[in-house]
Amino acid sequence: MVDISGFDIRYTYVTDTPYLRDWLHHPDVQKWFPVSEEREIEDAIQCWIGFSRYSSSLTATLNGIPCGVGTLFLMPYRKVSHHCLFKVVVDPRHQRKGIGSSLLKNLKHLAKSYFHLDLIHIEVFEGNPLIRLLQKFEFHEFARQERFVKDQDGYKGRILFESFL
Amino acid sequence: MQHLSSPLTFRPTIIEDAPHLLQWLSDPKILRWFPMFDAREIEDAVRIWIGYSKIEAGVTVLYHSEPCGMANLYIQPYKKLAHTCLFSIIIKEEMRGKGVGKQLLEYLMKYAKEKFKIEILHLEVYDGNPARHLYERAGFKEFGSQTRFIKENGKYTPKIFMQRDL
Repeated sequence: MVDISGFDIRYTYVTDTPYLRDWLHHPDVQKWFPVSEEREIEDAIQCWIGFSRYSSSLTATLNGIPCGVGTLFLMPYRKVSHHCLFKVVVDPRHQRKGIGSSLLKNLKHLAKSYFHLDLIHIEVFEGNPLIRLLQKFEFHEFARQERFVKDQDGYKGRILFESFL
Repeated sequence: MQHLSSPLTFRPTIIEDAPHLLQWLSDPKILRWFPMFDAREIEDAVRIWIGYSKIEAGVTVLYHSEPCGMANLYIQPYKKLAHTCLFSIIIKEEMRGKGVGKQLLEYLMKYAKEKFKIEILHLEVYDGNPARHLYERAGFKEFGSQTRFIKENGKYTPKIFMQRDL
């Protein structure tokens, strides 16, 4: 799927934290996430990287350097443990190279084969280019909340997508 | 609807309300409308709910000075989303069908707007929960549903998303 030499996917390590932090500071990435200031980014990263201890997070690498992370946010309650929210982020310098596709494909496989999940879902803000990829991977929209995000550009909606595994 | 012999009073939720919440959630007739399954999960949910009392984001309703229901605003930790808020409500089983939920919801909407400047309040309710009618009457509109949200004994129960402007 990724036609670049040196590309690989492995489980996420806590030591990937600085890369995630760097990407979330980038305006082209940050605009698609709820974070907007230092404290928020740190809180989000702590929660995100925390899932590496359950082996529910994957890191894409190029020549050994992290270039994207995809994570299953496993649910803590039994009645809802058959599904989970996931997040994906790709280094802004390496977008449109198929890294997101590769992470998505591997995350779906991890969710189904290892965690035996029935479905995975994701929240995206309106206009996020990831939407095209989700549609390609047979995700369907199940909720759309207008005016969920409010920033300097005004309001944006959030769209919730899911895929049955 | 049965009438109450004295008025309800409202105050911010305090840590000492936790045992009431724990007791109400432990009632299977109530628990079926929440995602928790056993005592450990209920304790975890109570800890999170009561934790919001630090910022006075919870409201406890009292009848004859005794807590009979609670509502909580899960205040967003992110500035971009701070104008929206998810909430949950619980009413003690014996106090249901007496208009307590309606009064608590009305109080909560006003409280959310005035104290936290919330513009949009949203909720999640399971398909079949009678509380859905209360939300509809209060002006909440559905904006989506997740058909396979709850799974019990191999059977799925959908979750419905609703919101309203304040």
